[in-house]
Formats: sequence, structure tokens, C-alpha cells
Amino acid sequence: MDPHDNACACCRRTFLGRGIAGLGLLGLNALLDPRLFAASSKGAINPLHFPPKAKRVIFLYQAGGPSHLETFDYKPKLAEMNGQPMPDSLTKGQQIAQLQGKKLVCFGPQHKFRKFGKSGQEICELFPRIGSVADDLCIVRSMWTEQINHDPAHTIMNTGSIIAGRPSMGSWIFYGLGADAEDLPGFVVLLSSGRGGQMQPLSARQWSAGLLPSRFQGVKLNSMGDPVLYIKNPRGVSAALQRDSVDAVNALNREQSAALQDPEIQTRIAQYEMAFRMQTSVPSLVDMSNEPKEVLDLYGAKPGDGSFASNCLLARRLAERGVRFIQLYHRDWDHHSAVKVNVELKAEEVDRPTAALITDLKRRGMLDDTLVIWGGEFGRTPMSQGGDGRDHHIKGFSFVLAGGGIKGGISYGTTDDFGYAAQDNPVSVHDFHATMLYLLGVDHKRLAVKFQGLDVRLTGISGDVVKDILA
Amino acid sequence: MIRAGFSPGVFSHSLCVLLAAAASVVAGHSQVRFNRDIRPIVSETCFRCHGPDKNSRMAGMRLDIREQALKPTADGTIPIVPGDPDKSGIIQRIFATNARVMPPPYIHKELTPAQKQTMREWVAEGAKYEGHWAYQPVERVTPPGYSTNAAADPIDAFIQDRLAHEGLKPSPEADRRTLLRRVTLDLTGLPPTLEETAAFLSDTSPDAYEKVVDRLLASPRYAEEQAIHWLDAVRYADTCGFHGDNAFPAWPYRDYVLHAFRDNKPFDEFTREQLAGDLLPNPTIEQRVASAYNRLNRTSAEGGIQPKEYLAKYAADRVRTTAAVWMGSTLGCAECHDHKFDPFLSRDFYSMKAFFADIKETGLVPDRGPKAWGSVLAIPTPEQAERQEQLKAQLAEARDRLAAYMKTLDAGRDAWEKQLLARFQAGELAWQMQRPISARSAHGAVLKIYNDEPVDFTNYDGSNLTSSRGPGNGLVIASGPNPDTEIYTVTFRPGAGIWKQLEIQIVQDESLPGIRVARGADRLVISEVEAEAAGRKVRFSSAVANTNTSNAPPEFPPIAAIDGDLKTGWAMATYNDVSKAALALRMAEPLRTEADTVVTVRLRQESEFRRATAGRFRIALSKSADSWPSAEPGKEIPERVSKGLAKADKDRDDADRKAIEEHFQWDSPEALPERVAVEKLELASALLDTAIERTLVTEATEPTETRILPRGNWMDETGAVVAPAIPVFLGTLHPAGPRATRLDLANWLVSDTNPLTARVYVNRLWRQFFGTGITKALDDFGSQGEWPTHPELLDWLASEFMRPQWKAGASEGPTRPWDMRHMVRAIVLSQTYRQSSMPRPELEERDPYNRLLARQTRFRVDAENVRDIALAASGLLVEKFGGPSVKPYQPDGYLAPLNFPKREYSASHGGDLYRRGIYTFWQRTFLHPSLAAFDAPTREECTINRINSNTPLQALVLLNDPIYVEAARVFAQNLLRQPGTLDARIDRAFERTVTRPATAAEHRTLDDLYRKSLAEYRQSPAEAEALIHSGEAPVPALTALKGQPAEFAALTVVTRAILNMHETITRN
Repeated sequence: MDPHDNACACCRRTFLGRGIAGLGLLGLNALLDPRLFAASSKGAINPLHFPPKAKRVIFLYQAGGPSHLETFDYKPKLAEMNGQPMPDSLTKGQQIAQLQGKKLVCFGPQHKFRKFGKSGQEICELFPRIGSVADDLCIVRSMWTEQINHDPAHTIMNTGSIIAGRPSMGSWIFYGLGADAEDLPGFVVLLSSGRGGQMQPLSARQWSAGLLPSRFQGVKLNSMGDPVLYIKNPRGVSAALQRDSVDAVNALNREQSAALQDPEIQTRIAQYEMAFRMQTSVPSLVDMSNEPKEVLDLYGAKPGDGSFASNCLLARRLAERGVRFIQLYHRDWDHHSAVKVNVELKAEEVDRPTAALITDLKRRGMLDDTLVIWGGEFGRTPMSQGGDGRDHHIKGFSFVLAGGGIKGGISYGTTDDFGYAAQDNPVSVHDFHATMLYLLGVDHKRLAVKFQGLDVRLTGISGDVVKDILA
Repeated sequence: MIRAGFSPGVFSHSLCVLLAAAASVVAGHSQVRFNRDIRPIVSETCFRCHGPDKNSRMAGMRLDIREQALKPTADGTIPIVPGDPDKSGIIQRIFATNARVMPPPYIHKELTPAQKQTMREWVAEGAKYEGHWAYQPVERVTPPGYSTNAAADPIDAFIQDRLAHEGLKPSPEADRRTLLRRVTLDLTGLPPTLEETAAFLSDTSPDAYEKVVDRLLASPRYAEEQAIHWLDAVRYADTCGFHGDNAFPAWPYRDYVLHAFRDNKPFDEFTREQLAGDLLPNPTIEQRVASAYNRLNRTSAEGGIQPKEYLAKYAADRVRTTAAVWMGSTLGCAECHDHKFDPFLSRDFYSMKAFFADIKETGLVPDRGPKAWGSVLAIPTPEQAERQEQLKAQLAEARDRLAAYMKTLDAGRDAWEKQLLARFQAGELAWQMQRPISARSAHGAVLKIYNDEPVDFTNYDGSNLTSSRGPGNGLVIASGPNPDTEIYTVTFRPGAGIWKQLEIQIVQDESLPGIRVARGADRLVISEVEAEAAGRKVRFSSAVANTNTSNAPPEFPPIAAIDGDLKTGWAMATYNDVSKAALALRMAEPLRTEADTVVTVRLRQESEFRRATAGRFRIALSKSADSWPSAEPGKEIPERVSKGLAKADKDRDDADRKAIEEHFQWDSPEALPERVAVEKLELASALLDTAIERTLVTEATEPTETRILPRGNWMDETGAVVAPAIPVFLGTLHPAGPRATRLDLANWLVSDTNPLTARVYVNRLWRQFFGTGITKALDDFGSQGEWPTHPELLDWLASEFMRPQWKAGASEGPTRPWDMRHMVRAIVLSQTYRQSSMPRPELEERDPYNRLLARQTRFRVDAENVRDIALAASGLLVEKFGGPSVKPYQPDGYLAPLNFPKREYSASHGGDLYRRGIYTFWQRTFLHPSLAAFDAPTREECTINRINSNTPLQALVLLNDPIYVEAARVFAQNLLRQPGTLDARIDRAFERTVTRPATAAEHRTLDDLYRKSLAEYRQSPAEAEALIHSGEAPVPALTALKGQPAEFAALTVVTRAILNMHETITRN
């Protein structure tokens, strides 16, 4: 069975095909699960391949390509070489974006770095609060990717492929693990933007279920308008009438179901129930008015402002409610010019909330089984662009991980003295995916769906778990 | 299928039964056959390491070719000894219980005991190989039993023969209502009307059904329904798909497809025109439009892309798509390596790519400006073409007149230069900021005046954001409600004076979306500026703004703000320079004001663009006709000009001279009428130009070199150069010219020597009418696909498609080769198609997936049809065949993640709100959420097989998307027009949606819902009013409906429930 079969539905036992959204063979476990019609469901992998360290993921996705050189990767040598030509040996024959045909000149770090915590992790001094949780962080300084423009780079980071139509990581994880949320989607996406830099577009492809059934797609939670599309009753329909209407629709459907024994109808009834529950639960989820002032202050969140800070707090609330994969895109990291000032603006927006989320999860005892990830689709060149900016860069950049089975207080991998290419222990996008899946108890080589005759996987045909960063 | 490991213990009894039943479907025949029984096993488990790809082959062992499999490998093992499984290496290894077991555990492909036994039997029976079924020539098989009953339907003959072998009987014909609804939905995507149902039920003639089929096939709706599937395959969309995802002109291609299905264009012609319409002799416009097929791939305009990388992406997309659509083959795999399972070589991928190397294109495909989208064909109507010629001539003439006139002014040029500079330096050109005494809006925006009050200012000049704080100095700020259009009316007292120009300054602010000047994300449009003083209208003679850049769209020039036409306007969009923007209007006659004269200025912002309204603005006056628009003191002459004027003539460079020349022209009052005439004609030309439809097309040019890219790496230029060729194992082309072309490829695809195209197409058709293909892997006819359940039937259909011999029904007219409609007709007239879909207990055990077709199938209709059904049943549907894509209601902010430019979604108005789903504007990165919820693909890639899922978001769409609420409301409204009881109305609504009256139980449920609703709406009349005013469709006077708001609203609740029924969106 693959998720594409259309018409195998008209019999009692064809949950395989579409009833429970085409889960394939292992979806049968869900079929046998008494909670089948609840939103919470076990995933396709049951039991898990490994004992899981993390139960959920919060990915603080810094979209646009944050400069590793002004955040987590200090390069004194680059500072010394400021204004000198970049060594040809590094850059020759390498891919380049907007600096095509330009003279390549070293551009030193624009901000100072400091050592933080007992572990003495080196972090840019614009991020003192992130520094304050340094002992919980694993800084990976040797990430690399293969796509140098935003759109394809996001796509490979999220789906492991540059061909559109592949499931995103959140969908894979929701599919593989299911979710604990009874009345919320298992994969939720939040967007925020701020100041400085160009606000690069994002595509819904980045949280698409691709070739998996669409119930596994990321549901975008909006900070303005309806929090989830079509979540509000139409004007003129009260909550009571909506309830009555859903009851009537389900009664009509049950009538049919009795005659036809069609599991699709049973599923439809369950989905209307789920939809109705979401109509109540989503507004209460996004209503942060009951959060204590102390917590709002910790994050720097003003409920309803749609900021990264508010989204971080929302992420914690989603995590508490059993959502499996929570992805926060924060934009405007594309600093082709004025990287010095622009990173300051970004630091104002992300330093406090990032640290607050880790602190808050920790004090609630949730950090141990929540994997927090901070990073973007690529890094930025050690060469200057236009004298004060940095271009896209794929050969080396930084990711920060915390919680969920990650060893805290360590740095892993290095780039060369210029911050140009990953040198020791390079970590590819696929390695990152493999490691994330491992922490969730999944062998990335065994999480696959059939598509066009192939076993499609998040990690494609490569990817190794980075064992050294595991707690 | 998920490959993750599982423990067999979790399977329940019922599952085991199910698996056994599934197996029995396949194992009906006794002898082991390679293609049916063995290939799926070895392809899945062995070929990865012992198959066609030499680079991943292990132990030198190759199992996909018999001769190779019989040869000893390096270590002396003989993989297969025919007739002797115990001596065969592969049998030993698959039964091994030690570390030597094959396949090795690390690849996670365990063989079941049954599969091992089958392998063993196959070797014992002589290890016969068969060529892969899909690559064998299509053979026309005589349908079973034809020697005795030649009149039988061939499709039924094949299906029933297999059923008889399985000891199963087909189901009886579906009841007439079900049958009519099924065939109407399948062929047109809409439910039958009440009249159509009544006519069919009362037609007792034996050919009643065939008459229905004739009627449906002749309807343009048939084309609309068929086109959906084709458009998925060729990844037709309205936007470019990468990065900014801007709209590209492609809908004429969609109409080409519609026309092809409507006119039953033979599939071979259809193929040739799309792949190579531009290469046909003297191509018609239609054929050139068809060639847009090659340009529908996603393209990028993201800054800093490397052209070569993207050219490689585009070409790979074309190869993947063409291989999938016509060949059902997964050639995409061969971009990086020889195919793991099928005989496609990496070389084949690049040879296919070479066919497309003549397409004129760039890596970065501009998404705006004159070069936007590369090869584009304008398709003016004859009237437009004529008007274009006229305007061209008039414009040339007007420009000549202006130039000639300017020459006569040359004598005064020196004096002008000196005077202007002197007056500028003396401050005589200064703009005088006006302090409003009132500012009102027409549609709800709150306007607040800041004269001496301090205001925070931000300004973004394209790279730097600066902030400051200071007195407002006449600033007006709009806040609060944000309506789609606005009229701002501002009054002020300039004091005594004689004024010659009025200026509107548009002030940026960080809090505003998009380019930070308008209250919507998309743009600012001032459709008209009007002014009055002392009861007299102030007339303007010319307009100029300081915002123009070379990229600014020409259809929004300043003069459009004073042309008396509200449809046109002066606009600022992403590609204008919007920092410190100002629009200056010269008065036709000087305006004299006394000390207390009040001047009123109206900014009419009433364009079709939503919220294109100013967020912050000021008004200024100048006593000089020579003041250039500026929001900063000291810039009343463009900077380049003032600097140039200050230089001695010999020190000026070309740019200085050009700037001064242009400024002289603008500043010469004598030439004003000539200049305005030119500007007006330019505006008319630009407006006409935007009205002319365009489409992407293919233009051929000198083919670029195509190299094999090792591992698909576009930077590696060490691979061999290849010429266009079809995959080697499928044969060789014999092109007419020295180099095979796209036309040669197209001709081969629809030739007798290609075994794939016909099979692939009829298999896809089969899925439309039975829910699953004869082989379910619609897009993979390779060895990883599925052995067809009815191979002889598939071949019969393919052969019939290429060379029709059978008359499908008594009324069928002449057919021709590659006759698409003939194939549809043949399928829907079969008894197999007409069977009931009612479940039968014995079938659930024997054939859970209904692959044997002892009954019909039930499945949810496609996303577009979910919409179509609600609109048709309610009476809202506006049927119009073809035309530009339309924009249904869509939640605000849905496109907010997009940028370059940011955009504000403007829903269509009027009839275009109620068009069929196929016409929805297909935004690839943010497909309309209601279509997406029902699994419509984004069409970023070729989609052959839509997913069909069942999710809570679908429930939210049907319950709450305003179009479905409006449909329910209009449905109720139309039911109310007919006299009758509630029960009669409910029956009528059921007839219209599910083609049957409601049952007693259904009546009880809905009566109950109606009563509850009625009680509630009587309590809350405001709620009732809100519901019955859902949507833009006019609400008739209630007297016409003989009802009260509460009854109307309660019936709306009922119709809404009916539109939400599972049955409503299911075809059975």
C-alpha cells in the first residue's frame, strides 16, 4: 500500500488505504487502536526503533541565513585578515551567490565574543541570555548544506531534498511518531519577523506533507486573524448551533455508515468531532492572558503581537499540549548589507525568548524530553559584500541544540580559521536529520515511504547519527 | 508502504485474514511467472545491489538479466542453476539462517517465507525470465469468449473472465439515480440537475444511459473535468513557484488544454503540440500556446542564483515530467546514477535532457519588467491589435511634435538655466507645508492630524532604516479600520497667496506593511486627486512624481491621478523609489486665496487593489510652477539637475546633460500641451498593453551543449557530451535532420514503437473511473511498479487507443487513432463501470482493495469538484468556459509569508467569485487553502496520482470557509422561492446534492436541526441577519421569499448540513 491509493475504500477493512489516511501497513496498528478516532494516534513506527530521548521538537528556525560569524563561531584570524583578500585556495571553484565575479575580501567578525557558563562556550556578546544557558547548549559549528539560495536551501533543510513534493521533517515525525495532542494538530508552524535585513519569502512547501497524506502537514498558527484557517464559526452561527450542526452532519453520516459499512464515513465523523474540538482548543491555546506576568516578562512576550517572543511562549504551550513538532520561523536574517547593525536588531528579538524557552522548559521538567534546535538554512560568507554585509554561505555554519538527549555545554565540529568551510567533524543536513530522528527513537534508514518505486526517506541515501553530541 | 520494522505479534486475526485474502487475489494461477511473481520480489530486495546500476553492484552479481544470473561470479558461486534450487546461490543465500543470509539485515528488506518459497519454485521450474511487461510491444488480445459472443463488451469480457476464474460474480447495475450521479460527476465534475434526473428516471428506452453519456461527453464541462487531471500532470500553475512566487502568464495554455478536450483533439496531436508546437511548420497561435508545456516548470528570480545551476534544475524537471506523463517512468533517478531498478542509464537522462536544449531561456528568469518570463507570446484580440497600431502611430506623432516644439525653445535655454538656479537658491521654489484643519475618511479609517504634536518617523531608503522624532508639521496618519478603498478629504487654510502647484507627500512608516507607504501590503494607488477652494474646483494640467525608477510599471503614471478616471491611478509599488515620495500637480490656472480661504483636497483611493490607501501623508503648496516634487527642503530641483546646473557647461557629463534636458522639457510651460499629450498616449498604450493576454511559450534557439553531469553535479563538466536520444533500451530515433528534436521525441512518444505512452494514458483514465489503475502505480511502469491486475485488458485498451476498432455504443460516431473521448466512452458504457458499489461481504474477504472489480468503488471527489458540487447545488455556480484565472475568497494574511513583492490578496468580484475550481488562481507556494485541504497538489512538480485524504481541516473548510456558507445561504434562498413544506424543501435539496430524496431518519435529523435553529434565530434576529447576508451574492427582498429572516437562516443551517454530508462529496 502506498499513500496514493485512491479507491480502495469501500469495504470495512480498507483503513489501509485512506481511512486512517493511508498509513500503510504499520498504520494497521492505529486501526486496532481503540483511540483510532481520536486525533492522538500512535505513529507508523510502533514500537520505536530505539528508546527515545526526546518526545518532541521545537525548531527555532532563523530564516534568511544567520551569520555564524556574529553568533556562534568566533574567528580571530578572520579579524586579523580583515580587508585582505580571501585565500584563493579556499574559495576557488566553490559556489557563490551574489558575490559572483566580485573580489573576495576578508571581513572580520563585527562583534566581540565572550565565554559563557562553566563550560566556557564562546558566544557573541550580543547574546548574553543565550549565554546564560550555555551549559545546556550544544553548539555545532560544522554544519554544511548544498543549496545556496533561500528557497532550495529551506527545502533541503526541511525535506532533505530539493525536489518539491517531499514531506517536511515535521510531517515525517508526525507520521512516524503520531502525536499526543487530542485536539490539536501534531505539527504546528509559527511565523514571525522583525527588523533589519530583507524579509525573504517562505513557501508552504516548507511544512508540507508532500507525498504523505495531508493530515500530516504542518498547520500554520497565525498571530493575526483566525489562529487556524477557518477555525471560527461563520458570522451568524453560534457555538451552540455549530455543535448542533456538527451533530446533525454526523447523524446523517452515521445513517449512511450503517448501510454502507464504509470506514471512510467513520473517519469523516471522527474528523468532524476533531474539527469541533479544535474550534474550542485553538482559541484557548493562543489566549495567553492566563500566563503569569513573570512568565510573559521572562520571554519578553506581549500576547497577540505575533513576535518571536510570543511565539516562543506559544511553543511551550503547544509542547505542553502534546504537539509533536513545533517549528518557529523567525525571518529577516538575510544580511547582505549592514550585518553589524542588523545582527544587533536580531539579537534584541531572539536572545531573550530563546533563553527563556530553554529556562522555562527546564524548570517545568520538559527540557529533558524536548529537543530545541536553533539555526537557519545556511550561514554567511567570511567575505564582505558591499563593504558591510555578508553573502549566503553553505560550506560552514552553526546550529545550536539543547535538551532532548543532547549533551549540554559542549561545542562540536569546527570551521577553518576563516570560518569558511566545516573542517573537523562536518555535519551535513542529512546528518542533522538522522541525529534528530535518532533522538526521537527512529532509525532514519527505516523511516521511509514508497514513492515512484523508491523508498523515500527524510535523509535521502545518506546521513549518519552524530553520536558525540548525545548525552 | 512503510518499511519500518515491526513485530508480527501486533497483527490481529482480522489483519491476517486480510493479508491472506490479498495474497489470494494474486495467486489465482498455478505456475510461477517471472513478471507477476518474481520481479516484484527481486526488484524490491535484490536489484539495489545486483541490478542495472553498475556503480552499486556487489560481488559482480547481476540478477536482472538471465544470462548474467546463470554465470558463476568471481568466487565461483552460480547465482541461478535452472531446475536446481539447491545448487543455486541465491536460493541458498535467501534461506540461510546465518550471517550469509540475503538480503543482508542492514538493508531492512526481509523476505517472507512465502516469497522465499515462490523464488524456490521459480528456480525449480527453470527460472524463466520475462521481459518487463511494460516494455513489451502492445499486443491486441482477443477478449475472452469472443469466439462465441463477439457482441459482448470487451472490457466486461476481460473483467468477468477474471472474476469467473476467481469464482466471483459481478454486481448488478447500480440503481438509476446512483448511476446518473456517478457518471455525471465522473464526466463533468458536477451533480445532475433535477431536470436531468427526472428525464433519466422517466426515460425507459434501452439506450437511455447511452444518451446521457452522449450528452455529458458533448458538454464543455467534460473538458473542464478531464483538464484537471492533465493540468496536475504537466504541473500547470499561475505562478513561478520559487522564492517570490510571482504570477506568470500561463492561463492561455490551460485554455488550450480545455479546448483540446472539448474538441476531442487526438492525443498524438495533443502530444506533438505541447512538446514541439513551435517546431511544427508555420505554427498556429494555438500550437505556440501549447508549447507553453515546456515552460511550466518552476523558475527562480532569486538574486544571486547561478544560472547554470538553475538551467540544470529546469531541464531535469522537464525530463522528470515528460518521462512521468508519457512514459510512466521514474527517469528522475537517473539524474545522478543509472536507475537502480529499471534499465534507464544516467546517459538516457541526459540524452532526454538534450531534446530540450534548444529552448531559449535564462537561469534567472526575471519576474518583472520588460524581460519578464523570457519567451512570451502576446495574444491581442483583433480590436486590441488595431488599437495598438493606432496608438503606436499617434504616440510617434505626438513625440515628434514635442521634440519639434522643444527645438523652438532652445533659444531660451540658457536664460532658463540661470533663472531656475537663481530662483531655486533664493528659495522661491520652496514647498509650503499645509496644516490641516480637518481630515475625514469616507469608509471608516481614522485620520488624525499632527501639526505641532511630536511623531516618530522611520524611513527606509532601500538599505538603511533611520528613525527620528519631531513635530508632525501637517502630517495626517490613518489608523483603525482598514477598508479596501478610501477617500480622504482634508481641508486647510493656506492664507493669502497665489499658488501654482499642489503636492501630496507620502510618508513612510515602519508600522505599515509592504513598502511601508500603504495600509495594504501590495501598493499605494491614488486613483484621483480632487481639490476645491472658495466653491470652485481646482483643475490640474500636469502631474509628476519623484518616485519613478526604470522598473516602475508604466500603467500607473502620475498623470493617471488627474485624468478623471477612477480606474486608473498613480501607484507606488515595490519597484518604485518610495523613500520621501511626493506627487506634484500643476494647476491649470493659479489659485488665488485670501487669508481665510479654505482649500479642500480629496485623495480618492478607489482602485481595484485592496487597501492601496495611504498610511501617512502631508499636503503642500508652491507658488512656483517650477517646483519639482520633494518632501525635503532644498530638493525642489532633482539633485542631479541642480548639481549639473551649478557646473559650467564643459564640466557636465552626459548624465548631467540628459537630466537637465529632461528637466527643461518638464519645466517648459510652452510645451506643456505637447508633453501631456504624449503622457496620455503613453498611459493609454500601457493600459492596453496590460489588457492584452500573454502566455509563456517555447522559442527554439541554437541548442546548448548537454553533458552528462556526474552525480548530477552541475559544476562538474567532465561528463561526456550527449546528443538528444530516447532511452537506449527502447530503441533509436531516426530523425529527419542531423540532430533529433523535440518534435522527433513527440513523434516517437506517440508511435507504434513506443510501448509505454498508450498504456500509461489508458491506465490513468482507468483510475478516474474506478479509483485505482489497472496497475496502481500510475507513475511507475518500471519493475518497482505493480504487475497489472488485468494485463490483457490494459493492452487491449492501449491498442484500442492507438488504433480503434471497436464501436463504443450504438450512437458512437467515427473514431480516430488516439481518440481520448472514445476511450472514456468505452469505459463508462461498460457494465463493469455501471455496477453497484454496494459492499458485498464475500468481496471484503476476497478482494479488499476491489482490484477485481466485482463492484464499483466509492471515493471522495477531487478538490475542485468539492467546490463545484456546493456551488452547483446551491445555484451559485457561474459557468464560463476558460479565461483568466479567478480568485475566490481567501483568508486575509494567507499570503503574508510571501515577499518580493509583498502582496495583498484581492478576491474577484461578481461572477468570478463563483467559478469552477479549475479556474482558481494556482499560487504554487500558497495554493488556495480550501483546495489544498482536499489534496489538490501544489503543481510544483508533476503529480500523476493525487492523494485522497480525510482530515479535520476538510471539516473546517466545509463548515466555515465563507464560500460554503454563502452557498448554503443561496441554496436556502433558492429553496424558499419554491412553495412547499420544510420536508419538500429538504427532499429537493437532497435531490440536488445527492440525487435522491431524504430518508425518514434524515428528515427527522434535519427537522430537528431546523427547529433548534429557528428557535435560536427568533431569539437573536441579528444573528439571523448576519447569516443570511453571508457573501457577496445579492440577498433578495424577504417578501419575495415569503419568509422571515429567522426561517431563512434556519433553512441555511439545514442546507449547510446537507452540503457537509460525506455523501455530498463522494461519488459512489
